[in-house]
Amino acid sequence: MMKSTEVLTLEQVSKSFPATLRGGEPIQILEGVSLTLNRATSIAITGRSGSGKSTLLQVSAGLLSADSGSIRFEGKEIPCLDDEHLSRLRSRSMGFIFQSSLLLDDFTALENVQISAMIAGYSERDASRKALAMLELVGMQDRLGHTSDQLSGGERQRVAIARALVNEPSLIFADEPTGSLDERNAALVEDLLFSLVAEREVALMLITHNLAFASRCNTVYRLHNRNVEVRS
Amino acid sequence: MKQGLLRLLVLRKLGYKGSRAARKRILFNLVLITLVVGALVFAQIFVVSMSKGIADKYALLGNGHLQVHEDSTRDLPEKDGVLDVQLVSQSYALIYSPEGNKMVRLKGVEDGYFNELRTSQITLMDGIPKESTTLEQVLLSTTLADELQVGIGDRVALMLVGDDGIRPQFCVVGNLYDSGYRELDANLAFCDYNLIHRLFKGSEETYHELLVTQERIEPLKQEYQDDGFMVTSWDEENFTIATNLNTSRQAVLGVMVAVAMLCGYFISELSRELVEDDKHQIAMLTLLGARHSLIRSVYFYTVMMVTILSMIGGTLLGIVMSSNLSPLLSAVADRSIPSLSYYLLDFSVVYPLGDILVIVLVLLLVSVVSVQFSLRRVKRIEPLSCTHFD
Repeated sequence: MMKSTEVLTLEQVSKSFPATLRGGEPIQILEGVSLTLNRATSIAITGRSGSGKSTLLQVSAGLLSADSGSIRFEGKEIPCLDDEHLSRLRSRSMGFIFQSSLLLDDFTALENVQISAMIAGYSERDASRKALAMLELVGMQDRLGHTSDQLSGGERQRVAIARALVNEPSLIFADEPTGSLDERNAALVEDLLFSLVAEREVALMLITHNLAFASRCNTVYRLHNRNVEVRS
Repeated sequence: MKQGLLRLLVLRKLGYKGSRAARKRILFNLVLITLVVGALVFAQIFVVSMSKGIADKYALLGNGHLQVHEDSTRDLPEKDGVLDVQLVSQSYALIYSPEGNKMVRLKGVEDGYFNELRTSQITLMDGIPKESTTLEQVLLSTTLADELQVGIGDRVALMLVGDDGIRPQFCVVGNLYDSGYRELDANLAFCDYNLIHRLFKGSEETYHELLVTQERIEPLKQEYQDDGFMVTSWDEENFTIATNLNTSRQAVLGVMVAVAMLCGYFISELSRELVEDDKHQIAMLTLLGARHSLIRSVYFYTVMMVTILSMIGGTLLGIVMSSNLSPLLSAVADRSIPSLSYYLLDFSVVYPLGDILVIVLVLLLVSVVSVQFSLRRVKRIEPLSCTHFD
């Protein structure tokens, strides 16, 4: 029964980077990491800078290849997926939120969200309808026609949340989503993120330095000595 | 489903609702390619039109499209496509004036020779002889008259070389003509058909000069040959000129095709530049799950739209520019490049659609291939790289 709710499973995942561009002794970042993330649950990965938190997120999302170990997303072995399947997985089942909102510059808030839905295969009309609904949900209905440079940091991050959720993914990867925001906006984004994740039963992998933010997740991991340990 | 996304992204890349910088970049490349294509099309039309103009002058004034070398008493059978038949005699003579002399080809023609077909190719000067005379008249070109420094009504001498030695024949310049092509005019003079016979007493060459429709030149030549006539065409009679014209045309087309290929390569630089500038966006689209093939299509269609619009614009520009070719060339010759007046300046513009199509297709083909090659770099942009722009 529990098996069917698993969204992401990491087993003995290791990742290293070459010391220099020319090779040399590799730097081990992750070593034998195992964790499981179920639907409608959230985990936070904390740790000091350079401990490999972002690397863990990127490996989990298939953005970086692991040296060894197994990464299963909804039962599919990510390292075995080709470009087409990985793209499909990213567009339909994963959502990404980064420290910087990473919106498409020449596009409006509505178009940024709409494009994500269109990549997932929705028609222009359906994508627009879904994007509009999502932007209303994050309180951006008055900023639909504004481009990235016309939005504040908090507004951009809300658009990014809308974009990450528009295709109803099973997992959101959030890498320091409030890292570049002031306290007030960070709190707004935190609330929004957790309420939408809970409401839509989406799993969340959160990378953060902020322990208060992390503590809102079901499980908090600390990345230490290249492996994760449960913090709370 | 992906068509809507493709359209949205392509339109934005083309500058529709996009940033001012994107619009300026596209517009700059559009104008640049349009000008190059316009110049190529213009140059090709110019070369082909001038070649055809020169060929027409030689055919209509020099030898006719076909020459039937046969006894003048034998009638030619009537055939479809024959526009005019004239009996012509020709020989060569030194023409003298008090100020100069020149070896010319002297053509003896009958009254009906300068009919509408030929007068459309030349300008006959107005003027009457200064005094009444019983001397035979010759028709000189303005180019030749300038060299000999004579005008209408002036006397010239034809120095005739025969078996009985060299003897002069005095004539009067009855009129002047100008075909617009000095190379031909400088060596061609006309006189009465009977005068040639009297002067050269059988050493002259006599033939039927035929003007025919362009597409019937070769079939008619064959038909007359089948009827037992000895027939030559104008390009056989003027082999060097015809070959030069043809070679020039082919060579210029070759150069135009080479330039079109370079232009095609330049177009791939536009796609390279677009991809380089949009690395961040491409990485982000990949992160959102867009496939490389979709992203490549966006840039491919964007660049191809610019290319096709430029080619249409450039072709139209070239055609519009060349539609005023003769007045333009005359003005340039008069004001800045006098040596241009030795070329044919007055000719009908023909639009070599085949050549234009070759240039346009080569440009299109090279740009398609080179753009595809340059878009391979899209695959090298990792989705993760968009986070490096933080």
